Amino acid sequence: MKEDFDKHITEYAVLLMFALVMGTMFYYFRYNHQVLVFLTVVCSFAYALWGIIHHKLEGRLTKLIAAEYILFGFLVFFLLYIVLNFV
Amino acid sequence: MSVLKSRRKKEVVKDWRKENRAIEKYQFVYHFLPHPEEKRRATLLSHKAIILYCAAMLVIAGIFRLLPTMMPGVLGYASDISVKDLLTYTNIQRKENGLSELRLNESLTSAAHAKAEDMFKNQYWAHVSPGGTEPWDFILGQDYDYIYAGENLAKNFNKSKDVVEAWMKSPSHRENLLSSNYDEIGFAVVNGVMDGYETTLVVQMFGRPRNAAQIASVYEEESLLEKEASSSAAVTQREETAGTETGQEAEQGPVYTPAPPAEPLVDVTTATKSVSAVFGGFVGTLLALDVWHSRRKGLRKFTGHTAAHIGVLLLVIASIWFVLTPGIVL
Repeated sequence: MKEDFDKHITEYAVLLMFALVMGTMFYYFRYNHQVLVFLTVVCSFAYALWGIIHHKLEGRLTKLIAAEYILFGFLVFFLLYIVLNFV
Repeated sequence: MSVLKSRRKKEVVKDWRKENRAIEKYQFVYHFLPHPEEKRRATLLSHKAIILYCAAMLVIAGIFRLLPTMMPGVLGYASDISVKDLLTYTNIQRKENGLSELRLNESLTSAAHAKAEDMFKNQYWAHVSPGGTEPWDFILGQDYDYIYAGENLAKNFNKSKDVVEAWMKSPSHRENLLSSNYDEIGFAVVNGVMDGYETTLVVQMFGRPRNAAQIASVYEEESLLEKEASSSAAVTQREETAGTETGQEAEQGPVYTPAPPAEPLVDVTTATKSVSAVFGGFVGTLLALDVWHSRRKGLRKFTGHTAAHIGVLLLVIASIWFVLTPGIVL
């Protein structure tokens, strides 16, 4: 795990930076629901994309792994959307 | 040791052959833990399971949308907003921006109440009613002769501070709140049922009277605040009394009451946050179990990064609980 982390530190740093930026933007736009829905879509899409690119660079991208990241992207979207729909 | 283990294994296999249920029990564990031979995640983390969770959340969201049309007032937004706090936070913002404090005016307060009640009665959420009534009509209806006037609206909030903060974050509302054109202000915090959801509407009306001598005094403001506080208490008491009376038919039409804290049967914000936390937490826990069990057993699976999934889920749950707050401004 540590080896993998050291090898792909740039990709993990990108993911961490993205998470921090998204967290900050969520806080800043917490009263603007349209922006929040947009950020939710961006967040889900970006995570799926990150996973696919990361595995492609690792040379172990398969259809199943791509599907896994896309499904987790959807899960993230629905987790946020169900709350956003009623705030 | 290994002899003992293999003997035990044989016994287990013998048991399985005798009793099918034992095999089922053994397989059941792999709904929650990664499978050592098939080298895959727990069944409850399979692609089908994730699709099922997404579908379940969609169904729950649909129920939360449909329920208010069938049983109005069951779902709603809990709130504890007071005119006094709204006035205090508004004036704090003005003071911080080098502006004079606004004085609470009785006519503007009545106009704000009339507007809130009209919104509940005609079931709309807008500055101009479906019949074309503008905010100024409510102000003029209270014989408030103004040079400048303005209106800010808010609904579904649960704290006074959040309402003012949300207005400050929106450029047009901020402009009203920090305008040097106004001397007086009026608030209405009214509970009622809007689109089937029990909610609290907040109406904020600003004005500068044509005659400067008409600006409300400190005494008038204090007596207005006292009146507001006592009317909330009276409404709470009235509701309690009504609750004990039986055999009397409830009056039809929109229900609206001024100011006491709104406590719907089911707070829709807490309910949806809980649904998200349950699904997110369940998947997160299974992923954590996956990491723990795979390390313990030295399993190597050909899947995506479990740690990345856990990190993203944690961030999402934290955002839901600590960042997302209910409330819309207009």
